[in-house]
Amino acid sequence: MNLNNRLSRIAAVIIAISSVPSIALAQAGAFGGGFGPPLSVVAPPKVFATSDEHYAYLLEQAKGGKKHTLASVPRWDGLWVTAGNTHMSMFVDPPGFSGKVRAGVLTPAYETAYKERWRQQQELGEVQYDRLTHCEPPGYPRWLLEPYSHEFVNLPNESYMINDYGPGIRRVHIGQEHRNEFGTHSWYGDTIGFWDGDKLVTHTKYLLPADFTRWSPMTSNQFESVEKWELKRYPDGIERLEVQVTFYDKFAFVKPVSAVYAFRRAKELEAAGYRVQHWECEGSSNDFLKNGTTTSRLPGEEGFKDPRGTTLFPELPGQSRDPIYNTTLPTKKE
Amino acid sequence: MRRVFSLFPAVLIALLLAAAVASAHHSFAMFDRTIEKVATGKVVRWTFNNPHSWLYLNIKNPDGTETLWSFEGSGPTALIQRGINGRTFEPGSTITVLYCPLKDGRAGGGLGWARLPNGTFINPADGGCTGSAESIERWKGWLAKGYTSNIEAQKAQ
Repeated sequence: MNLNNRLSRIAAVIIAISSVPSIALAQAGAFGGGFGPPLSVVAPPKVFATSDEHYAYLLEQAKGGKKHTLASVPRWDGLWVTAGNTHMSMFVDPPGFSGKVRAGVLTPAYETAYKERWRQQQELGEVQYDRLTHCEPPGYPRWLLEPYSHEFVNLPNESYMINDYGPGIRRVHIGQEHRNEFGTHSWYGDTIGFWDGDKLVTHTKYLLPADFTRWSPMTSNQFESVEKWELKRYPDGIERLEVQVTFYDKFAFVKPVSAVYAFRRAKELEAAGYRVQHWECEGSSNDFLKNGTTTSRLPGEEGFKDPRGTTLFPELPGQSRDPIYNTTLPTKKE
Repeated sequence: MRRVFSLFPAVLIALLLAAAVASAHHSFAMFDRTIEKVATGKVVRWTFNNPHSWLYLNIKNPDGTETLWSFEGSGPTALIQRGINGRTFEPGSTITVLYCPLKDGRAGGGLGWARLPNGTFINPADGGCTGSAESIERWKGWLAKGYTSNIEAQKAQ
């Protein structure tokens, strides 16, 4: 084989790989993997029938949890980005996107629904529909997987886990009981937790039915989780928050499943002076479904919303949302 | 030759990492990622937005008229890690971009790499197309030969 032929083959492989970035996105260790040692799942200490049992056991083992003060509560300051996970290995046999949906993990109805998603991903290279098309929040459990920037604020009685995606804010009520006086489920549900030394253990329930991602299974309104968060430090200054999670869902899963997710301190973002922005949902509002496929309205098309245009009060000075360049886009077809 | 192959695993890893940092707000099913095209036009607007940026270019048609094209790129968190910010594309400047077209034929696509007026290549891509270092290097060679699509370049090779 001459040099040109070999280079052509290499180029073909590279083109094939680079043309399917979403495949790489969904493989184990993706979403920013490669910082620190490979992630490995730590199974729960024993089998629990429910997430309540699991959480209660861990709380008992931790003797009710450590009561931190403002001075002693672990600090996870700064900006963080996703740093890999073992997510897909819960549901799909290797190797990644050429693998098959694993039998016996999901209940029959959820397995059937997931196989259709998987068919789209494998045959079309992309799942045709994503509920975010309709600007729904990522919610939980998707929060664990999504990129963008994250912040963690730990206080003695509450922890805030923030992703600019949505934005998605999880509140962990430390040393408290679940509350659902209003009898409703929500995108992030209700999360309680306690400190086991420097590890944060959480329990989440009362969630809306959702999905992990568009290439993952759906979850039901009985989806619950127990998480254990721990900050680990590795050579070369790598700081990684590792989250061992067990998911419970009596409608979706045959039995509980576990995975590990990670976030790394994004010192390059901090050095660049980045500050988390608010989500600009108006841009997302241009996404819509056409023949079952996600697509976007373009400038000049009916219904297009210009997130950098003017407000509803253009007659007032200073109403452009593009104050640096003050550009305009067409609002109807010319 | 041996050197080329020794670089190959590194290139693959770099590609996968580049793909992995692509954001994942919505499905990219609207873009045909098997097709890569190159276009040159004048910047109308660079919306450095969360969750996705959009680059709007006025591109000349063969008959001399112009069409406003829309290209979807990555979000600020990913872009800043690549040295791209809200002032990277100045309105009125002429740039060249790689894009993967919308499947339905409208004037838009997933943004790949972009070549700034000073000749610098940058990667504002999200999951809709690729703007990786490998893509840039491959396309530098193809651009030098005058190709404007990967189909055209691959046919000629």
